[in-house]
Amino acid sequence: MASSSNPLVDPLPSATTPRRPRPGERPALLLTLTVAVIGLVFTGPFAYVVVQNFRLGADFSDIFGSSDTWSPLGRSVQLGVAVAASASVIGTTLAWLVARSDLPARRLVAVLAPLPLVFPSFVGATALITGFATGGLLERVVEPVGVDELPQLAGFRAAWFVLTLFTYPYVYLPVVARLRRLPASVEESARLLGRRPLGVFTSVVLPQARSAISAGALLVFLYTISDFGAVELLRYDTLTRVIFSNRLADRGTAMALSLLLGVLALLVVAIERRMVRHDVPVAASSRPTGLRVPLRRWRWPAAVGVVGFVGIAIVGPLASLAHWTIRGMASSRSRGSLGLDGDGLGSAVTNTVLVSIVAAIVTVAVVLPIAYATVHYRSRTGAIANTFVVGGFALPGLVTALALVFWVLSSTAFVRVYQTLPLLVLAYVIHFGAQGTRASQVAVGGVPRRLTDAARMLGAGPVRRFLSVDLPIMVPGLLAAAGLVLLSTMKELPATLLLAPIGFDTLATEIWASMETLSYAQAGLESMVLLGVSAMLTWLLVIRAADRLD
Amino acid sequence: MKSVRVACHQPAGTHTMVSMTHVPHLLRLRAVGLSLAVLLVATACGSDDPPPDGASSDGSLDGVTITVYSGRDEELIQPVFDLFEAETGATVEARYAGSADQALLIDTEGDNSPADVFISQSPGAMGFLDQQGRLSLLSADTLDRVDESFRSESGSWVGITGRVRVLVYNTDAVDESELPRSILELTDPAYAGRVAVAPANGSFQDFVTAMRAELGDEATADWLDGMAANDAPNYPKNSAIVDAVARGEIDMGLVNHYYLVESLEEDPDLPAANHVFADGDLGSLLITTAAGVIDSSDSPDAAEALVAFLLSDAAQELSANGEKEYPLVDSVPAPDGLEPLADLAAIVVDLDVLAGGLTGTQELIDQSGIQQ
Repeated sequence: MASSSNPLVDPLPSATTPRRPRPGERPALLLTLTVAVIGLVFTGPFAYVVVQNFRLGADFSDIFGSSDTWSPLGRSVQLGVAVAASASVIGTTLAWLVARSDLPARRLVAVLAPLPLVFPSFVGATALITGFATGGLLERVVEPVGVDELPQLAGFRAAWFVLTLFTYPYVYLPVVARLRRLPASVEESARLLGRRPLGVFTSVVLPQARSAISAGALLVFLYTISDFGAVELLRYDTLTRVIFSNRLADRGTAMALSLLLGVLALLVVAIERRMVRHDVPVAASSRPTGLRVPLRRWRWPAAVGVVGFVGIAIVGPLASLAHWTIRGMASSRSRGSLGLDGDGLGSAVTNTVLVSIVAAIVTVAVVLPIAYATVHYRSRTGAIANTFVVGGFALPGLVTALALVFWVLSSTAFVRVYQTLPLLVLAYVIHFGAQGTRASQVAVGGVPRRLTDAARMLGAGPVRRFLSVDLPIMVPGLLAAAGLVLLSTMKELPATLLLAPIGFDTLATEIWASMETLSYAQAGLESMVLLGVSAMLTWLLVIRAADRLD
Repeated sequence: MKSVRVACHQPAGTHTMVSMTHVPHLLRLRAVGLSLAVLLVATACGSDDPPPDGASSDGSLDGVTITVYSGRDEELIQPVFDLFEAETGATVEARYAGSADQALLIDTEGDNSPADVFISQSPGAMGFLDQQGRLSLLSADTLDRVDESFRSESGSWVGITGRVRVLVYNTDAVDESELPRSILELTDPAYAGRVAVAPANGSFQDFVTAMRAELGDEATADWLDGMAANDAPNYPKNSAIVDAVARGEIDMGLVNHYYLVESLEEDPDLPAANHVFADGDLGSLLITTAAGVIDSSDSPDAAEALVAFLLSDAAQELSANGEKEYPLVDSVPAPDGLEPLADLAAIVVDLDVLAGGLTGTQELIDQSGIQQ
């Protein structure tokens, strides 16, 4: 929206004019080159898919002339849009309640709210099915009350519900980071002018948080169309299902459809960028906003709503996991093994934590130049790089992993790094770069131009300006970006299975192995450890760090 | 943790204490009987005991590292690798992931593949690599350990263990009199909406390939159409079907035999049972897991030694007891609690057809509408 149409958004233009590209302002050559190189690396998976399409020579007219292609694609898009919409509403509401209201137990909610992101979808969906489906735990609980049979957890609505539960943190994290640094003055003015809290929210907060919401919604959409684990278990037939069931039997079709998925993603990313580019970037402040809106009589209903929703998203799967573990411990098969696997679990925890932290830091560092090039300058290179980095998130992890295998082994120079940790980290960076980029762009966009201009005039060099002006303002946004990558890496499976050094087990691979052998007790235990470790890391690295910097 | 100590009699007359803490994977096996304990003592105590049949034990592979890409789960097969390492002095490095993904990985890696051996859960993924020309031929000695119906005709891979297709059913919801004698009866309206299938699963696809080999494409397409017309609910995999049947969400489902065996060990009260189709019915197909040597292996002899070891009596016994699957070597009996293979009269289909026909099978499945 244009600032002129709503004076509340920008009451003092001269004071808070944010960083907006000036016509003719060009990025330094070094920045352009850096962005070009980074962008090139991120085109790897797309280039692989294109090369494979040529090599396997799939019959395009046959594939794209068939409803067997278009109807699953339609279902993928339909699900993606639905989940993105519901996750946006829920993520934004939750973020506002945590950042701006006097909701009870806000800090606890702040730690718990991002966590559903960490359930690998094959675990989360299986656990929710165990909990909510016909004959599941919930049915046993409600049976005495007279409820006979719960509906099956399958199909579109089930996939919509489950994916919303697991993806709303993509919206919540960037929005909450944005709200923390929004100057309260505008909202105060609006209230003084007599706007009610809801009015303030829709006319002031929402427009200012729009780019963060849009960033999150885009990630949710891309995640949803690339997801296989959850839609497979919930029996909703999407494009990824066709890709996966054809991956050996008919690679030509699988690769052609992967290309289709990739092109769809690139289009959506470009459209989203167009929509946000005309948006007014909003200046963030380097100090946190202390503004709290009293919810008054809505305080407890809001608390019940939050507890209910976050409860379903976390406790729902958790109850099933605990049930598996307890049931398994009581039975003969697992009694011996649960304790004995302690050593393996310990190293899996260490591996998971280390590799996720490294991946999160490297990802944010790698995508930051792209965020600068796209937000501060009208850089065409930046725009192209951005499209590939973000669009790559929609390619299934298996495709990204195979692409890396293909490119690394196609030249003898890189054979030595094959299946080493650095290559695994690179796989994470490529697959999750989107999460880092969109959230970093929100952070970079919040740096007021006046401040950097002032610093420049005072003679501060670019490095000093970055460290003492930009960075402090961007920190919450960058931590949100890192947090997203961290939680996603912790649950990543396909690339880890194929690219990790032999013997490098993570919690996700351990859980997968347990589920494969139907050792649900063990899988339950490991999943609870994964959830606990994520909660600890979220608190330590994302929330407490942001607080301390305040 | 409890550590089991075993005294060994060495030829020199010294006593060595062997702690099982050094072989943690062995402890993961729950259902291991006395045979394992005996084996463990034998291997832990060195090479003066006669080696299990079919394995070399002279330490000739000292210092050799064999890289295995295994679609078999770690819990199931790592004990066999541990045993091989102890017997031969070789080091086995195993990567665990799904069979189809590993096959794709090896294909993508090309000549630079680190893999020496591929172990697949299904003949389908192995057949894919065979078609890509990525498998070396195995020696007659190795191949002859199993019946020729359990290996590829060209000798590029060999079956390791067998699993039988069954109809799992909820014992509360289904009366035994309702159970079909043949899998072909499942298209009858009496079973409408009651029998779950997993069309995306490798074992189901292998079964369909077998049906094509036995009955022809037309009859197979008819059966798939019939199942689709009967609204057979789709599930992503065997385990999801067994879970759903046990919960009472669905009455019956087409799966491999061992899923229920394992589920019952987690929760013995599950109201579910396996139904084996009548003698010689296609429904009770035996599907093998398979092993082969990758053509780009830099130590093909050691790789073949490992494949041969998988067919040794010792390894077959470990597999049978730990995995609840059928050993393919004649001299090793079926695991406790399973009917002997001979009594099941499970049908065996030409494995080359099973492995090679995946593309055609996928087409038939896609056309049938069974996936909707």
